[in-house]
Amino acid sequence: MIDRRTFLTGTIGAAAVMACPAVLRAQGSPIRIGFPLPLTGPFDWIAADQQKGAQLAMDVLNAKGGALGRKVEVLFRDDELKPAVGAQRTKELIENQNVEFIVGGLAAHVQMAINEQAKKANKIFISISQSDEISAKPDSGPLTFHEALNPTITGRSVGAWAVKNVGKKWWIVYADYAWGKQNNAVFTDVVQKNGGTVLGSTPYPLGKPEFSTHLPKIQAARPEVLLAAVPGNDAVAFMKQAISFGLKQQTKIVWPLHFVDLAKTVGIDAFADTYGGTSFYWELQDSVPEAKHYVEAFTKKFNRPPDSYSGYGYSGIMEVARGIELAKSTNSDAVATALLNNPSYAHYKTKQWWRKCDRKAFQDLWIVKGRQQLKGEWGYFDVVSKVAADEALDRTCGEKGYA
Amino acid sequence: MIRRALAPVVHWVAGHPVISIIAFFAAFPFLVPYKSLATQVLVYGLFALGFNLLYGYTGLLSFGHAAYWGLGAYGTGIALAKLKLGSLWLAIAMGLASAVIGGAVVGFFCLRRRGIYFAMLTLAFSQVFYFAAFHLADITGGDDGLRGIPQLALGLFGYQVSLASPLAFYYFALAWVALAVAGLKRVLDSPFGAVLLAIRENSDRASACGYDVNRVKLVSFVFSALITGLAGSLDALRLTVVPVESLYWSTSGQPVIMTLLGGAGTFFGPFVGAATFLVLADRLSLFIEWWQLVVGLVFMAFVLFLPRGIWGTFLGGLGVR
Repeated sequence: MIDRRTFLTGTIGAAAVMACPAVLRAQGSPIRIGFPLPLTGPFDWIAADQQKGAQLAMDVLNAKGGALGRKVEVLFRDDELKPAVGAQRTKELIENQNVEFIVGGLAAHVQMAINEQAKKANKIFISISQSDEISAKPDSGPLTFHEALNPTITGRSVGAWAVKNVGKKWWIVYADYAWGKQNNAVFTDVVQKNGGTVLGSTPYPLGKPEFSTHLPKIQAARPEVLLAAVPGNDAVAFMKQAISFGLKQQTKIVWPLHFVDLAKTVGIDAFADTYGGTSFYWELQDSVPEAKHYVEAFTKKFNRPPDSYSGYGYSGIMEVARGIELAKSTNSDAVATALLNNPSYAHYKTKQWWRKCDRKAFQDLWIVKGRQQLKGEWGYFDVVSKVAADEALDRTCGEKGYA
Repeated sequence: MIRRALAPVVHWVAGHPVISIIAFFAAFPFLVPYKSLATQVLVYGLFALGFNLLYGYTGLLSFGHAAYWGLGAYGTGIALAKLKLGSLWLAIAMGLASAVIGGAVVGFFCLRRRGIYFAMLTLAFSQVFYFAAFHLADITGGDDGLRGIPQLALGLFGYQVSLASPLAFYYFALAWVALAVAGLKRVLDSPFGAVLLAIRENSDRASACGYDVNRVKLVSFVFSALITGLAGSLDALRLTVVPVESLYWSTSGQPVIMTLLGGAGTFFGPFVGAATFLVLADRLSLFIEWWQLVVGLVFMAFVLFLPRGIWGTFLGGLGVR
């Protein structure tokens, strides 16, 4: 027989034991950040780089005890580079995993679909790839942040530098979709403003990189600079054809962006002597202390130096954590306010800051040039110039639809 | 033993599809990991249902159903985002009207040919819509997709019902699905439905019996476009974006796969197929990047060894037709 006292003690004890995990869970539960990105599809190599950056950020944060004493957990989801999948995955992260924040996205159209879901759920979304619309009205919401460069900033920076330093007479080849068209418009504008001329431009259908009919015409026009707004796998085909037609010997080729991983895939010859912009190149570690720190940690973890987009992933996660610490809260509104009131940061390179009106990050950009001789295993580029961060390089908040 | 007990139940379910679908899907959101997945299954099931009317019941294989899905989605999306119509009812009506008009025009031309020529024509027409949407960026948002679709409350008998919670939206979609299923059931049970089956089995003989085969096919085509358009319209409201890929030819493959997986020519097949495909995709993709290979193998296995699909095989096994 159990007497009443034993029964009571036992019951209370059991109840306490059962209640405890709930309490512990509430305090020790990780802060979850959703991270949709195209792990499969034609840009899987950029996504892999973004993911590594975010993984490193998670490690670095948790080694220091996380944020507000809670661990930070980043949940990656494959959006297959499809907007509908990106939207569905974001819904799953918010509804099923209870993520507090969304960081990620690659390609403008998928970002838009992710952004719509984050807006509906009132969660911060830090976009980490290029788009002009994501930080402009009506797409940008009060919790939409944009960590990456955009086509306007990239075009104005790279274009102005190249007109002054590479040549005045230009020809533009661009993929006929939003990103390509934006590049064509921005570069045409900046070249003319800086005293250059655009002799002509050639759109081609994205994913159908057949340039042999266009190249003789371009060669006949004798441009000094050829801008290739040709993304991903199309770039590989473009360079092969440009080399075989002898265009590369005759004209300097400029890319909006250069990637170490693309150069490694195609081989050093393809990009040798061509110019491009980048938000980050790992050899910046020689001149920027934050970059040295970041590149060392990255190389230690992944046994290779980072490409440029891992910086966005790293910085995006770090900014969420910084905002949480500043706000002492995981509420998206509080975190957004805290970040905008303390806009400066430098997680992996020189100083960056948030512009308050459009929640756009401003950051330095570097011009790199393809080397003829590979330096070590990953030294594909020489850093030739820095374009300092400047809000004037983007459209003004008025132009972006903010009153 | 189990089979004997199950057979009358399944027989009843197959005979009363409307009540069965409502009953099952009323509980469905609580059986899957999260509510939005249930909504996705419902909407894609409806998409496959529209396709199945044409393929499973009329015997016409369309490779261009992305067109009506996309027209429904863009019709509703443009009504809300660009024309700023303040009514969900009007927006859905505009989506349905776009899909029906599109279906009537495309059907009128494509039904002049049979077999592979018919399939290729439907594919070509859907690509025309895709490129139109891609280049008319001012109206459709181009390749960034149509954004800015507000999540309006539903005006119902003077009340404003919010659809913001995933569960509320799910039951809103379920009401539409129930309506579509009831409509389809009514059509298939009518003499017109019998003519559809006659055309599927032997179009020449149906023609010899005095039926205007082309006209019947066209009506079936338009009705299929209407159901598909409804699914597209619901998808636009669900995601509040319309990706331009909605009209792309690969989207046309989705209902084909789902219908064949679930069982063509059966009422539940499209929904069973959609649920299997989407839940598998959702769960597998959490663990493996090559989940599509697994789903592809499952699909091939069904087509090769169980051509009646999951639900068709199930019914066959129980001796229910």
